[in-house]
Amino acid sequence: MDQQQPPPPTPNAPPPSSAVDPPPQPQPQPQIQQQTTPTPPSSTSSTAIPNPNPNPIPKPLPSAIPPPQQPPQPKPALPSHQPRPAAAFSRPWQQHSSQFTHFSSSSPSASSSPSPSLSSQPRGSIALGVPSSHSGPSPPSPSPSQSTPFTGSFGHSFGGTSSSNVSQARPMMRGIGMGSSVGSSSQMRPGGISAQHQQRPLQSSLRPTSSPTSQSPSTQNFQGHGLMRVSAVGSSSSTPSTLQTLQTPQSPNQPWLSSGAQGKPPLPPPWHRPQLRAHIPQQHHSLQTVSQQQHVSSPQVPPQNISSIQQQEHFEQQFSQSRASQSLPHQQQDSRSQGSANQKPSSLAMVQPSTVQVTQNKAAITESDDSGGRILSKRSIHDIVNQIDPSEKLDPEVEDILVDIAEDFVDSITTFGCSLAKHRKSDTLEAKDILLHLERNWNLTLPGFSGDEIKTYKKPITNEVHKERLAVIKKSILAREAANAKHIIGQTAVNTKGNVGKAAANILGSPNVKIREVS
Amino acid sequence: MINPSTGPSSKAKVQHMMYGFGDDPNPLPETVTLVEEIVVEYVTDLAHKAQDIGSKRGKLSVEDFLFLIRKDLPKLNRCTELLSIQEELKQARKAFEVDEDKLATLE
Repeated sequence: MDQQQPPPPTPNAPPPSSAVDPPPQPQPQPQIQQQTTPTPPSSTSSTAIPNPNPNPIPKPLPSAIPPPQQPPQPKPALPSHQPRPAAAFSRPWQQHSSQFTHFSSSSPSASSSPSPSLSSQPRGSIALGVPSSHSGPSPPSPSPSQSTPFTGSFGHSFGGTSSSNVSQARPMMRGIGMGSSVGSSSQMRPGGISAQHQQRPLQSSLRPTSSPTSQSPSTQNFQGHGLMRVSAVGSSSSTPSTLQTLQTPQSPNQPWLSSGAQGKPPLPPPWHRPQLRAHIPQQHHSLQTVSQQQHVSSPQVPPQNISSIQQQEHFEQQFSQSRASQSLPHQQQDSRSQGSANQKPSSLAMVQPSTVQVTQNKAAITESDDSGGRILSKRSIHDIVNQIDPSEKLDPEVEDILVDIAEDFVDSITTFGCSLAKHRKSDTLEAKDILLHLERNWNLTLPGFSGDEIKTYKKPITNEVHKERLAVIKKSILAREAANAKHIIGQTAVNTKGNVGKAAANILGSPNVKIREVS
Repeated sequence: MINPSTGPSSKAKVQHMMYGFGDDPNPLPETVTLVEEIVVEYVTDLAHKAQDIGSKRGKLSVEDFLFLIRKDLPKLNRCTELLSIQEELKQARKAFEVDEDKLATLE
């Protein structure tokens, strides 16, 4: 659909208008998107993405545009994990990301559908069992601000810009295959995906087509801020400026999604990008970064804005999830339960705006790997390896795997932490939830977070029956020993030979051994 | 953290120990707190495990602790060394007292 186009173009085209009047420019937007995606999402609400790749985008967009609700389809078609194989893809992707924002906004439902598939795919590709699928498309842009929380856990300054977005984006980004899932997401799950996409589009000042209005409410549920944007998408992004970006008509978003098949996982709605703005000049269309999402907009200004944006969004999502551990509101937990990790990211995004951006940027940089929304970038892996051995080198596949492992780890930890928090009947994810999970299941102790709570000692529980049996055995052994001793003594008395004495000593020795074993 | 003790606080003790191991004479308070927490956690964990082992044999004893640190040779050797010194001191004190008693009786 034009969704793809509009979002990107909006940033570019309307950049000047920054007011984010993208709505009417479905076509110009796509083009703009491409261009704008790389450009940092200026705080302009319009999320005009000053991507200088308007041209490439239009091509993919047209194809994607047709089915407004299926924009992500084309993209999902892409191999789930294809890390934006071609730069070209990344480009259009970026644009899409901008489109995405509106995509998500425009068609929350559409996005949701593709997103689920996206999430499933990308995740599926990762054998690590990361529940990728759910997070991506489902939470349609929990909230741009949510991305901030992402930054928390990983230290990436995801800046939780759109933790929610990230989460959304993540699933989408995951699995570059997400392209296909994107398409599905474009079909959107109401609200779920749109939220994600909306986030993206926000950045690109994509005015989420009002069509996603239905989605927007759902997205709103997510997290408020993130949702706001999403809802804005649905409801013509009436919501905060960030939403404006989302406002890009859904169709534009969707087309983007569908064009996602181009091989670029649907980046979190440009909405994420705006958050990343700070770091990713190109991508952060000021759309949303500004207030709402403090997206994790990791400062990783992706070399390829488009791809990076996508990655970032994914990262944010993922990140937000990780951030969730820090102090996610219960909502996030719910979202998680729903399988929409995106929600959490949104809340997270709010928490940590800068970190998310950083991570996203990094994610963008490592476009080569799958899904843009990576929590960890290859650069981080390099840094860690350098700490161990400066002369060490890693194969690129190894780096990919490590990044995947890290993401899955964060994802699983956050999920379990949330379920523990829920078990605690609380709606806030706290440090103790994560600490308990790590201690019990991973045998990892993290000093410095427990708040000086003494661990009480529990005496090992022993059964009465077992105690009785032990007592009986002891008695029998003692009795036998006594009997043997008497016998031996008697024998020695009878036999003055020394051999008997030795035998007695041996016999006496054995019962002692037996007793020791029993006890 | 949790030990109410007169004299130098636990934090001060930890701080001095850190200096003894090579840290700055005035480390950051957060560092001291963290190290203290690590130490307390370690000792607590060790005591719990020792109790688990001791309960199987009936009572907690020094042997249980030595068994737990068997894998850590420096610690194990240091522990045995300290225990032997303690024994020697006991013997010395005993001999000293005996001497006094003998003298008293002699007199």
